[in-house]
Amino acid sequence: MTSGRSQPDLKPRPMDALVVLFVVLSAAIIAVLVYGKRESENLTATVKHRGETVAQVVLDTLQEEKTVTIDGKYHLTVTVTRDGVSVTESDCPGQDCVHTGRITKAGQSIVCLPEQVIVTMEGSSPSPDVILG
Amino acid sequence: MKRFACLLLAILMLLSLAACGKTAEPEKQELFAMDTYMSLAAYGDGAREALAAAAREINRLERELSRTIETSDVYKLNAGVTATVGDETAALLCRAVEYSEITGGLFDVTVAPLVTLWGITSDSPHIPSQSEIDSLLPTVGSGHIHLDGNSAMLDEGCAVDLGGIAKGYASDRVAQVLAQYGVTGAAVSLGGNVYICGQKPDGALWSVAVQDPKDTSAYAMTLELTDTFAVTSGGYQRFFTGEDGTVYQHILDPRTGKPAVTDILSVTVVAGNGTMADAYSTALYVMGEEAACDFWRQRGGFDMVLITADGRVLYTPGLAAHITQKGASYDFRQITT
Amino acid sequence: MKLTTKKLALCAVLTALALGLSTLESLFPVSVLVPLPGIKLGLANIVTVFALYRLGDIPALAILIARCLLGAMFAGNASALLFSLMGGVLAMLTMIVLRRVRGLSVYGVSIAGAAAHNIGQICAAMVVLGGTAVLGYLPVLLGVSLITGTLTGFVASLLFRAMRGIYFTQ
Repeated sequence: MTSGRSQPDLKPRPMDALVVLFVVLSAAIIAVLVYGKRESENLTATVKHRGETVAQVVLDTLQEEKTVTIDGKYHLTVTVTRDGVSVTESDCPGQDCVHTGRITKAGQSIVCLPEQVIVTMEGSSPSPDVILG
Repeated sequence: MKRFACLLLAILMLLSLAACGKTAEPEKQELFAMDTYMSLAAYGDGAREALAAAAREINRLERELSRTIETSDVYKLNAGVTATVGDETAALLCRAVEYSEITGGLFDVTVAPLVTLWGITSDSPHIPSQSEIDSLLPTVGSGHIHLDGNSAMLDEGCAVDLGGIAKGYASDRVAQVLAQYGVTGAAVSLGGNVYICGQKPDGALWSVAVQDPKDTSAYAMTLELTDTFAVTSGGYQRFFTGEDGTVYQHILDPRTGKPAVTDILSVTVVAGNGTMADAYSTALYVMGEEAACDFWRQRGGFDMVLITADGRVLYTPGLAAHITQKGASYDFRQITT
Repeated sequence: MKLTTKKLALCAVLTALALGLSTLESLFPVSVLVPLPGIKLGLANIVTVFALYRLGDIPALAILIARCLLGAMFAGNASALLFSLMGGVLAMLTMIVLRRVRGLSVYGVSIAGAAAHNIGQICAAMVVLGGTAVLGYLPVLLGVSLITGTLTGFVASLLFRAMRGIYFTQ
């Protein structure tokens, strides 16, 4: 690499347009990335079984329905779609996890006590600190 | 030397900046105890130690108050004729009796034999016959508990289950533990028994959402609260569907021995005492709208939110200023004094 | 490269000039566009561009860092230092590389410098404020950098034209 010229070209050159184009393109890409993401909630579902994370699914990029099965003393089927997460099947007593239905917002969770399964939803949108009920 | 000093200064400045950039995440702890899922979050220097101590306290309480752990005070009480119980268990039993009297028996820890009979949250729920229920109804009533100092006794055939008050009591104890460790803010949910204190690092209070009983993915309302306890009781999540298609929810009416028939979907009690909030929320749910409002007018000392089956959200005036969001599908009304 | 008294004096003068421009640009209300503390247009880049061509990479970098440190001292704000350093150094590195690219005029170099300046500042903002929320301002700032970069390039070209034939290094 040369040490460079001490006198630059003082008139705009065609190559300068490339720089402008590059800046404009970067701005556009960043705008799409940032604002495109902001519209979706960036939801991530985490399935924990007896304290261990067994699955983590980003909902926005999900192309098709995804199921996570948990086999322990009881057997649970967790179904993740773009719209939310639910425990669709369980042979646990009580069935609280199935009764909880589908969770769709950051901060919500599904709990299966007998099998110690927790499904939590996290996302970029503001969520309540605690949920009653 | 001077240049070195300048450099050092610049590095120090940069380091101090790094400290500002740290986003404050709370310390978290989750555990399965007392037959429920608990999650605790706290801010402050001693947060981690505080949460560990809180978890130990919860586990200790479970060992004393569980109905199924054979060494627990409650197990001994249910099994033996006369049991010697710890100071704490004795005091809690005493309070259970007191709340039973206050609520006209609608909160009652002696409903245990009927809970077992129905088995709604157990492996094998079943619909008992009327004669089965009738045979157990006489065992229900706080008058069957005889306390004398540390010696406790139950009448023949009776049993107690502190499940309706133990988590509330645990939240009171957790509050004390957290205070000892000097946390600056905490949000604790012991299976729906919530305790919140202090504030978040940005100075904000805690946002507490009340589940929409009709749509589990939505919230009926959001409250901004701190330094208080909150409990919600409702029959919409723990229930079983009988062979005839009828839905039986888990809260029993001690008067009938059957799942409570009520015109409210959920009751949220906000109060300065977790044990009381826990006991009251159950009783108010069984009472139904009218009696619950009357109870609040006569006793006071707490705030509440009733979500009725016909789509109204009734709240006490003390909460009016704390409501930050109202669910669109509900008609919000303030309860008149 | 020998450090002559003349060159040292020139560096000092340019540093003072850059500081003056920094102060001047604080009068431009960028904060209306982007409500972030410490975000600036980057007019002081004029000095950087000039120093870069006429004095070389190292002196230009020295002037830049001196400007940032002194500016932060005047402002009495530690986070301002991080903002200007991140912006300034990134702009400098970009221009050090780009001035060696044949076919790029002073306009192209200073536009790239201005853009890099803003990218650096947003990076600083992400460090200070935590999180990527401020990234949303970057497209706006990049748009602004096209204008300020052109402006810087224009002023610099005037400067070079006026000082044609006057060299400091030979």
